[in-house]
Amino acid sequence: MNQRYANPYLIGVLLGLVLLFSFYTMGRGVGSSATFSRIAAAGVELAVPGHAQEGHYFSKYLVDRRSPLMDWLVFLTLGAGLGGLFSAFISHRIQGEVVRGPSINISARLCLALAGGVLSGFAARLARGCTSGQALTGASELAFGSWIFMFAIFAGAYATAVFFRKEWL
Amino acid sequence: MGPLYKFGWFDFAYSLQLAGLTGFMFGFVLERAGFGNARKLTAIFYLRDFAVLKVMFTAIVVCILGLLYFSVFGWIDLSRVYILPTFIWPQIVGGLVLGIGFVMGGYCPTTSVVATVSGKLDGLVFIGGMILGSFIFGELFPLLEGLYEAGSMGPVRLSDVLHIHSGLVAFFVCLMAVGAYALVERIEQRFGDREALPGGSKRAKRTAAAALVFLGLILAIVNPDRIAAERATVSADETAKTTEALETTAPKPEKPASSRFKIVADEGC
Repeated sequence: MNQRYANPYLIGVLLGLVLLFSFYTMGRGVGSSATFSRIAAAGVELAVPGHAQEGHYFSKYLVDRRSPLMDWLVFLTLGAGLGGLFSAFISHRIQGEVVRGPSINISARLCLALAGGVLSGFAARLARGCTSGQALTGASELAFGSWIFMFAIFAGAYATAVFFRKEWL
Repeated sequence: MGPLYKFGWFDFAYSLQLAGLTGFMFGFVLERAGFGNARKLTAIFYLRDFAVLKVMFTAIVVCILGLLYFSVFGWIDLSRVYILPTFIWPQIVGGLVLGIGFVMGGYCPTTSVVATVSGKLDGLVFIGGMILGSFIFGELFPLLEGLYEAGSMGPVRLSDVLHIHSGLVAFFVCLMAVGAYALVERIEQRFGDREALPGGSKRAKRTAAAALVFLGLILAIVNPDRIAAERATVSADETAKTTEALETTAPKPEKPASSRFKIVADEGC
């Protein structure tokens, strides 16, 4: 059923080349967290038009007359979905499931996934990017803050990993 | 010369198509590595499987070397590449919280997309959480503005902070990568499941490590910053000459010569 995953070093080289391609063509790296922020902004604009006006954080997505979803990173994320789908399809890895360790039930796992998502979405806005938009991209350009950010991610995760042991092992 | 978009090779609409292509390759390689599975991703935090570190570090090293070599060969103008500005406090706090979110939810933003398309419900729930988290940040922004802007240092690079040229930084990053690989492979041997880990011959790994250090060493000797600076002065002179020549020969050029290099402003992430 599940084929073995590819060698991580080989994947690392390929991912580095994808990043390089992005820098060569666009002069910027990849990213995806802003996509979800833009979706939130579009939702706010749809539900309460005019709420995200001057001074509101989301107003920066609404400066042009075009939709906040008409953006480079949104299309990149759509492409990432398609690419992931293609890869999962050719390896017969598409399967409806909830990924969890043997000693946690589905509803607890989904609650933790939601809470983790809220924290990640919040933190990515605070840090101006996520693991790809800030850590991968910034570290490749040798940006100082991005290196600090990357070490902070691992510090935060290793420091709290013990509390989520039951979720995964 | 790259970056192609900054030199006006194509317009916004085409850049969106290119984003789709870049994203496709991005999502494809992430799924190949198994990053659509939260247990594979979080195994790094229990010292079982260091695929996340290997992929990230290798990608960063390859991209650093690629950018600097491209700059040395004159294929890319690094001054036109958007450098992420440093805001030290929000980056530290945001990094810590993102790390907690990672081990709690099992994904980071891009990998949750890959998980969702391969049918993982927890990935979809994580995405919902991220949208909610962004909304909360947006609503609380007036309270957070002080932290958001704290410790602003501008677009500084490691080479500026350490006061050494970027080739030397790249060399140290290569050494650090090789050291990290050797360390995590030993830890994996101890705690990991040897059956599940992808193999690879020892000889191939040693050769690749040597090649990496060698490529870094060349950059440390060549000093890409100096070469880029020299090229910048030369091209500035040439532009000045062309403009001068145009002014003397042509009566009134409709557009200044520099207008073919249209710089398109953009925001970061």
